[in-house]
Amino acid sequence: MRGRTNEEWTEAEIKTKAEIKIDPRTIELCVRCGTCRSVCPTFEVLGWESQNTRGRIMVAKALREGLTPDSDVLDSLNTCTTCGICTAKCPAGANPPEIVLEARRNLVSRGVMTEAQAGFRRKVNESGNTFGELGDRLGWLTDREEIKERADRVYFVGCLDSYRYPEVAKKTFDILKRFGVTLLPEEVCCGSPLIRTGSDAKKLVDKNLAQMRKIGAKTIITGCAGCYSTLKKDYPPEFEVLSVPEFLAEYLAELDLKRLDMTVTYHDPCHLGRESGIFDPPREVIRAICNLEEMKATREASRCCGGGGGVRAGYPDLSLEIARRRLFDVPEGVDAIVSCCPLCIRNLRDVGSEVEVIDLVDLVERAIRSPDLRSK
Amino acid sequence: MDLIDKLREIVGERVSASPAERLCYSTDASQVKGIPDCVVRPISTEEVSKVVRLSADLGAPVTARGAGTGLAGGSVPVRGGIVLDMSGMNRILEMDLENLQVVVEPGVVQARLNERLKPHGFFFPPDPGSSNICTIGGLIANNGSGMRCVKYGTTKNYVLDLEVVLADGRVIRTGSRTLKSAAGYDLTRLFIGSEGTLGIITKAVLRVAPLPKARRLVIASFEDAETAGRAVAKTFASGIVPSACEILDRTTVQVLKRCDPNLVLPDGDIILFEVDGTAESTNELAEEIAALCSPTAAQVAMASGAAEMEEIWEARRLVGAAVSRLDPTKSRIYVGEDVGVPIKMIPALIREVSEISERFCIPAMKYGHIGDGNLHVALFIDVLDEDEWTRLLAAADAIHRAAIRLGGTVSSEHGIGTARAEYMKLQWGEGPLSVMRAIKRALDPKGVLNPGKLGLDDESSPPGGEG
Repeated sequence: MRGRTNEEWTEAEIKTKAEIKIDPRTIELCVRCGTCRSVCPTFEVLGWESQNTRGRIMVAKALREGLTPDSDVLDSLNTCTTCGICTAKCPAGANPPEIVLEARRNLVSRGVMTEAQAGFRRKVNESGNTFGELGDRLGWLTDREEIKERADRVYFVGCLDSYRYPEVAKKTFDILKRFGVTLLPEEVCCGSPLIRTGSDAKKLVDKNLAQMRKIGAKTIITGCAGCYSTLKKDYPPEFEVLSVPEFLAEYLAELDLKRLDMTVTYHDPCHLGRESGIFDPPREVIRAICNLEEMKATREASRCCGGGGGVRAGYPDLSLEIARRRLFDVPEGVDAIVSCCPLCIRNLRDVGSEVEVIDLVDLVERAIRSPDLRSK
Repeated sequence: MDLIDKLREIVGERVSASPAERLCYSTDASQVKGIPDCVVRPISTEEVSKVVRLSADLGAPVTARGAGTGLAGGSVPVRGGIVLDMSGMNRILEMDLENLQVVVEPGVVQARLNERLKPHGFFFPPDPGSSNICTIGGLIANNGSGMRCVKYGTTKNYVLDLEVVLADGRVIRTGSRTLKSAAGYDLTRLFIGSEGTLGIITKAVLRVAPLPKARRLVIASFEDAETAGRAVAKTFASGIVPSACEILDRTTVQVLKRCDPNLVLPDGDIILFEVDGTAESTNELAEEIAALCSPTAAQVAMASGAAEMEEIWEARRLVGAAVSRLDPTKSRIYVGEDVGVPIKMIPALIREVSEISERFCIPAMKYGHIGDGNLHVALFIDVLDEDEWTRLLAAADAIHRAAIRLGGTVSSEHGIGTARAEYMKLQWGEGPLSVMRAIKRALDPKGVLNPGKLGLDDESSPPGGEG
């Protein structure tokens, strides 16, 4: 996906994707050894072969050969959180989430989708965010004057922090603006929810892109693992994309942080950790502030929160059950679970974690020494 | 009331006849295919018994399945009917370590059992490459084994007692909780390796072994696989019994390094000798093995410690599925993959396999439990090329026939299923096979339990259910 001109990307990319048929070679890599079956978080909850990775690959293959896409087929494909633990473990080097996403795209392009998928698509397209919210996306911003017309760096807030965790958006921006970071004046959803559920996100992508270009952005910084993955994979490669933990780790010395007397654990968001290899920066930031005790399954082997891939929207009970099981990995006696993705944070909170679940930025904000620099 | 409604009365919503579900239960890791009429996921012996009784009444085949990691189609419903997915019966019921035993349901995954045993200083030795995936029920039904079976024996050495649902729905116990018993026929062994053709295992009492205090790994590389094979025969002839003795031919080594570039392995054809015991005894044995290999080996080394050893074993466990790492247009097809011969015939078997691979122009990666004569041959092809498929199947056939000719077996640990059924007569002859058929008829007169397997079908066998 890299190495082409930007024009080719923006004009045709996402539409073309919907027309691509699944490459048989990517499917034939699977030898059905079942390694993925033993780690698939969805399967662990649901127990049916069609709802584990090996089954999904069989379903995708059968779709190419004429299997009718009924509701069980859609459930098979749509219950994948795209957490990618199957990819990490696959001895044959297959990439099952890519196969699942390709199959979803193909079906949606033929008009085949669940009501939940269709409703979700309508809502995101109409409102420009995951929640169908019509209110001001920058409602958390006390002074709109802080949005600059030109800047090298842009903070891409994302739907969740904009509408559900505005305090995190504010804390993040309060830190980032010290480094010349600005905001998109009319940010819309990055497109991830549509792309992950098989739909076209060109309209959203183009709207964000136009603003990024107008501002003259060279670096886009985001605090959401889903947005990070999308900005990196589905936007033209003309910007450097950084996650908030990477940025914080890079400027750690300038943040002037004090030690806090607490021990936290860290939940690796799948799209930040396993997919993008960003394991160390958040840990570096945490260790600069307090003690870190790793979860039972961590880094490459980290377990999904259940929130991704459209599963939280389409299968909320399943999503929360996966989150509940993730909490089994939390070490005893920690003061907080820290993560770098609002989707993960929401799921772990919503399932009733007894341990406080916070964003890395919450932790950093608590540790900022100078009262002047802390969020008001 | 149709079949699904009747099944629903027994297991509630844990039954499905959807095309997607039937598709996903229509195969395992082999090339055998058969679409079931429906899938049932029981969670108790009572449910299994009721489902089997219903199927007997209707004459519908019942095929038990664990994690579906089989390599011969053993769990594939080749005559349709009901697939019983046993993986939901996955409780470890009792840890009776004072009596050196545990009681488990059949859906317990091998590695999960060993995780539970480890803090107590025990382990369940049969350790197939699929340890993290496969279920105890599947291991028992196939008499599975693994890398450490060269010293510890196969699954059959660790089963004391089984709870089995018979073809008419009755539930029996096959053994006792004593470590030995001399009371009548050994019914437990009858069900081990029976691939679900005689009954459905719903509970197992397993013997466990104490974990050794120390392990050491000797890594010896050779100019060619045959020389490596001779070094193995020499080691055994000297009286040493390693706790694992694996061959990795040069292609396998390349694949392993592709999967994990940090892996410390020399090039060439490698034998991994593991010895276990105390720190002192393992050092002594490792030195002895190194000395035995040195005259013919290109290089002999020792793994630096437990971490490096585990890294090598972990990579080894999954190497069978990893050939695509060398060439993404090639896939490993599991055929002719499990032959075994008497230890001293290993060099001859390796020679024959190499010759077959060349004759049919199908690349072969050779690895496996050479210490017990079990060679895994990984044939890999471009699955989109029909001609390669034809040559692949011919090569697999030749490998099976070579093993039998050398006094060996077509399956050492993966089972017969349907994939190797045609070789049963060749390997056994009519006499033993007719005894097996008589046993099958006695225990399953209607032929409802996993029909079409083990080469047991003859003219007098009922045809089973709808395919």
